[in-house]
Amino acid sequence: MMLKALATSAVALMIAAGPALADTADKRIALSNNYAGNTWRQTMLQSWEKVAKDAVAKGIVAEATAFTTAENQVTEQAAQIQNMILQGYDAIVVDAASPTALNGSVKAACDAGIVVVSFDGIVTEPCAYRVQVDFKELGRKQVEYLATRLPKGGNLLEIRGLAGSSIDEDIHAGILQGIEKHPQFKIVAAVNGDWTQTVAQRAVAGVLPSLPAIDAIVTQGGDGTGAAEAFRIAGRPTPIIILGNRQDELAWWKQQNAANGYETFSATIAPGIATLAFWVAQQVLDGKEFPKDIVAPYLTVSKADLDTVLAATQPGGVANVEYSQADAQKIQAAK
Amino acid sequence: MTLSALLPTRKPWFWSFAAAFAAWGMLVLFLQGRGADEAVTASLAFAAFFVIVGLGQMMVITLGPGNIDLSIPATITLAAVVAMRVMGGEDANIPLGVLAALGCGVAVGLFNNVLIHLLRMPPIIATLSASFLIQSAAISYGRGLQVRPPQALQDFATARLYGVPVNAVCAVLLAAVVGVVLARTVYGRSVLAVGQNPRAAWLAGVRVGLVRSATYVLCAVFAALCGVLLAGFSGGASLDMGQEYLLASIAVVVIGGCSVAGGRANVPGIWGASLFLFLLVSMLNSMGLGAGFRLVLTGLIIIAVITLAGGEPAQR
Repeated sequence: MMLKALATSAVALMIAAGPALADTADKRIALSNNYAGNTWRQTMLQSWEKVAKDAVAKGIVAEATAFTTAENQVTEQAAQIQNMILQGYDAIVVDAASPTALNGSVKAACDAGIVVVSFDGIVTEPCAYRVQVDFKELGRKQVEYLATRLPKGGNLLEIRGLAGSSIDEDIHAGILQGIEKHPQFKIVAAVNGDWTQTVAQRAVAGVLPSLPAIDAIVTQGGDGTGAAEAFRIAGRPTPIIILGNRQDELAWWKQQNAANGYETFSATIAPGIATLAFWVAQQVLDGKEFPKDIVAPYLTVSKADLDTVLAATQPGGVANVEYSQADAQKIQAAK
Repeated sequence: MTLSALLPTRKPWFWSFAAAFAAWGMLVLFLQGRGADEAVTASLAFAAFFVIVGLGQMMVITLGPGNIDLSIPATITLAAVVAMRVMGGEDANIPLGVLAALGCGVAVGLFNNVLIHLLRMPPIIATLSASFLIQSAAISYGRGLQVRPPQALQDFATARLYGVPVNAVCAVLLAAVVGVVLARTVYGRSVLAVGQNPRAAWLAGVRVGLVRSATYVLCAVFAALCGVLLAGFSGGASLDMGQEYLLASIAVVVIGGCSVAGGRANVPGIWGASLFLFLLVSMLNSMGLGAGFRLVLTGLIIIAVITLAGGEPAQR
């Protein structure tokens, strides 16, 4: 029994020795996550688990545990990061509840010699790394896609995310930039859907009576089918709804496409970005130098790969891609 | 004769309906008459969900100071997730799925009772900690859940009866039943009596513990019912679907003119307040105000309505 365990770990070490140099084999990485109550976060945690488990098994790092706070609150996450400092983690990967309110704790971690990598919900503290997709670009791309579909332009309904978050501001700014470039489009109404189908459905149904004919809906992901339901129940024709890669959104697209050849554009930040943040942390611990701001591509699902993506995405999940150590190295090399 | 003498301004439910009507009027004014009926239909359909959870929360709050159920959002999510999985998208399994969801409600209510009565925890802490457990159960059970509801359930939840959304009809019937129960049954009168003075109620022979327990179970069952209808209405169960029903359930009770100190329930007020909450947000959205300004106005208007409605003369 003992011998066998020894033998396996020896083999694992030998495998790991090649690419990883095993310089980080004794390092411990923690994930500080502020919320787990939606499909994106669940998929993110599963990605982390999968990649981290593999990395530990291969001896690349000693430990990579995920910690999630119970309430989506800044104070709780700040305390959580303080605990991680005391527990002596070598790196903390964080999906932050606030871009600024955790800066004190993040600074304390940096001062203790801990590598801090933020992703998705990033922190502004200069000592931390930020792994993020270009949300402004994501907003611009929506309008650019619509310009190809509706060259004459038209009325847009904008569904925004959670008021006050940096992601909501960035996507919104990108959409406005896109409209500046394509002034034939006009936002006739904007509501907050909080990236939640039920909230989006109610908000859209509430403004629908006041709206003229809507040609397209620009969104932030997680709100597409809610908007579609609101239009269906009100008996209005379905506009072009930009989607955000949720399984229910993609399934709805497929169903609509089969029924009437519906076409749209679907893109969002892949939950697997957590794994890129993990590899960046590992590479920094390994002594590699990275820029503080790292831009990852967002994940687009096109009509052509709809079937493959749907088959790979579990019901209730989000289309996903996981990153490898090589991806992080590529970003470092391109610096 | 003044206006206030003509209108039932002293009725606690009056102000929530007046506010709802005013919000609707503003909306219609803004729409210049267009879509006024559409706005009414939409508000009925969405207010129904607030009403269902609001009725449960009202019963709990009526039990007296300290009584509140914070596990409503988690119960909504769990019941919806369980129902969708049991139904598995098949019309034939709908009754089974509804039963399973209501079963979840009963289980959650009983669990809350264990924490509150056996472990002697304050309800606010007991139901909050229960909600973490329930939400976790929903997350672990909900992985790989069948998101789409069966077609028949979806058709039912979004159907209209003579132009009135069916879920609103259900919520009106439920409200009527709760109203009758409160006014005409031993259980209902006991809830009010316990809320007014538990000791006096006990001395009068009311089984205080049993009444409280039954009420927490009732509240959880209403939340479960809301979960199933909501999943049918919005095309599936999701882990965050219950989130916004925590504050909404408490807000409709307070705006509706129920006493936060307990002992005084008000069924029509729940409907008025639910319509008002939906119409208020729709009105501000339609006016195209920014998110920050909208939230500030929402807060201010709610404060104004509660101040007006709280016109009960000071006692002692």
